[in-house]
Amino acid sequence: MFQQLLAIIIIAFFLIRLFEQKKKKQISANEFLVWLIFWLSALIAIIFLKQIDILVAKLGFSGTGINVLVYLALLALIFLVFRMRLTIAKMEKNISELNQALTLKK
Amino acid sequence: MKIVTVIPAYNEAVKIEKVITKLKPYVTEIIVVDDASQDNTFEIAQAAGALTIRHIINRGQGAALRTGTQLALGRDADIIVHFDADDQFQAEDIPEMIAPICDGSADAVLGSRFLTKKSKLPKSKEYIIMPLARLVNRLFFGIKLSDPQSGFRALSRKSAEKLTIENDGMAHCTEIIHKLFKNNDRIVEVPITVVYHEFGQKLSGGFKIIKDIIIQKLIK
Repeated sequence: MFQQLLAIIIIAFFLIRLFEQKKKKQISANEFLVWLIFWLSALIAIIFLKQIDILVAKLGFSGTGINVLVYLALLALIFLVFRMRLTIAKMEKNISELNQALTLKK
Repeated sequence: MKIVTVIPAYNEAVKIEKVITKLKPYVTEIIVVDDASQDNTFEIAQAAGALTIRHIINRGQGAALRTGTQLALGRDADIIVHFDADDQFQAEDIPEMIAPICDGSADAVLGSRFLTKKSKLPKSKEYIIMPLARLVNRLFFGIKLSDPQSGFRALSRKSAEKLTIENDGMAHCTEIIHKLFKNNDRIVEVPITVVYHEFGQKLSGGFKIIKDIIIQKLIK
């Protein structure tokens, strides 16, 4: 119960941060949507942890809440890599624009 | 009418002079965008009489086309023709390519290797890569074209002004077609002949294009 509460607090923190970033226009609409879906999914997973335990067990895994959290952490890492890829893509776009401006200025 | 050809070039020192010479009778001006080549593409293109500019760093064919198209618009081009530097396209196809724009029946003309004129395509390209490219274009963009990956295209000034090429790499081909349709441009496909000297885009390149399109959509 305490673990669940802690996880919900953490997710709430990230959700608030996400809405702040959107408000300050630091992230695009698509990026916001991806992260919103991710954190809401995590929230639902935490709230229905027991049901997930049953589901995981039914699927043949020796599942406990902590297992699910590990899976979620793995998901979080995948999304972080994905986010980094997007950040790099944005930087590449900026470099191209700068490159073009300098080329045409000559 | 001022017809300006834009040629993105990367390490094309061997072929660029021949391409420029062949193009001269058909266009008003030739712009070569040297995408930071390591050979002397820039010097050769300049000596051959093309207006040549050089990217400071290599950014890809899409980026070079974007730079060249911007320059062409700035030089009052009425029609902009995108042409490859590898001597695979035929300059004598240009009159047919620009005709629909000249007579006002089209805003953008796309060269097709799969209409009446016959191009000798590698078999895997003709029967595997291209059908897959057509399928992707139909599924993701609802675009039905005989040749969804041709780099030979002619754009009216109006069409080029509305077009913003965002993909730096090879995904620009799909992006341009998608945006032409989105901008409600009148599009015509014209048969062209392509002579292959090398294989070009591979299947792995096709997957990279799909990946680039998805990333571009997400960072918008």
